[in-house]
Amino acid sequence: MSIRLTKALEFANYRVTLNNQNAALKAKTQNLLSYSINGGTFIIDLPLLTFCKQLIDLSHLDAVLLDSYNNPIKVDLAKFHEEILSRWFEVTNDYYVEYEKLRKARKVHTILDLNEKEE
Amino acid sequence: MFAHNNDEIDYFKLAVVNSFLIQKHLGINDITVVTDSHSYAFAKEQLGEETINKAISNIVISEKDRDFKRANIRIYKDTSHTAKNLSFYNVNRCDAYDISPYDETILLDVDYLILSDTINQCWGHNNELMMNWKWQDVMYERKFENLDRLNDFGITMYWATVVYFKKTPYVESFFNCVKHVKDNSQFYKDLYKWAGRLYRNDYSFSVAAHTMSGFIDKGVPQLPTTLYKTFDTDDVLCAVNDNTLILYLEKPRSPGDFMLTKWQGVDLHVMNKWAINRISDELLDYVA
Repeated sequence: MSIRLTKALEFANYRVTLNNQNAALKAKTQNLLSYSINGGTFIIDLPLLTFCKQLIDLSHLDAVLLDSYNNPIKVDLAKFHEEILSRWFEVTNDYYVEYEKLRKARKVHTILDLNEKEE
Repeated sequence: MFAHNNDEIDYFKLAVVNSFLIQKHLGINDITVVTDSHSYAFAKEQLGEETINKAISNIVISEKDRDFKRANIRIYKDTSHTAKNLSFYNVNRCDAYDISPYDETILLDVDYLILSDTINQCWGHNNELMMNWKWQDVMYERKFENLDRLNDFGITMYWATVVYFKKTPYVESFFNCVKHVKDNSQFYKDLYKWAGRLYRNDYSFSVAAHTMSGFIDKGVPQLPTTLYKTFDTDDVLCAVNDNTLILYLEKPRSPGDFMLTKWQGVDLHVMNKWAINRISDELLDYVA
């Protein structure tokens, strides 16, 4: 096989690994953005965060929100907002750090952080 | 968890490994494993009673139905390179409701490795029964459309890999329905037209879910997490720590050829049982 073809195949392998690793990272992030309270489960996203903040600004103390199963769940807004906001920052910051690591990785073994075990 | 060894796969050891992972990531010590006397005796010999007792708080012995064991044979693969016909003993999964000593239970396959605390979200949930119908292969490029439904025009396939349930009359009826489907599997196979002769809990749980939801699609709620899966054609290179695995995933258009993936912090169904057995000592070092 010519050197050029070998390099192209190596690059293809790198791209496949990178894409899959990105997808795995998204899966992890989505999992962590799921939050359960009072028997309901919410996906923490921008509409939920902003809606809760808006209700708080309108001086509501508690509210009934529809969770990801469309079940009505009553929550203490201030506490709920604080918790989902904190979770949001924690998860997205981790995502950013991991994503930046992946973005800069140019080899399969750096994508997988294979040296981690020896550290 | 249910753990019945066959000629090659040490399911009980997988249950011990997963029990330690559960203790570590979910902070739960009330773990029940249903097994048979032979699997338990072998585990005591291999792992020692102390390790088993440290991992599992409640062991229930349920002797095997030998006729079922002989009849229910499936192909187990250790990647595409090795395939073996072995007994697949899964007949008593439908007894989970009767066996469980808890008000709320998460029923797990031993090969569903707990690498995060996500399923802790189930406890105290308004839904009294939850299972997965959403699933995702960790090799995103691969597509297995025949795993979404019992047949191409059939009902949604639920995975019995993880089942959350509360002890309520509805759930009791659900498990009675699963038992009924299991006992009349030939009739339901013809009715729902699933492929093959193998008895799978996924089928009986799917039919029961369909029936108990009033014959509507996806009537039993999805768990708070998607079911992530690898297949028996994949392999595990190593465990980096207690929540990270390096996986060999078979390329979609190139059987026997693999790519690497780091899987971290998300629970994972590993179908290649030999692969988990190979890294089980490594995992035990991290969590036991």
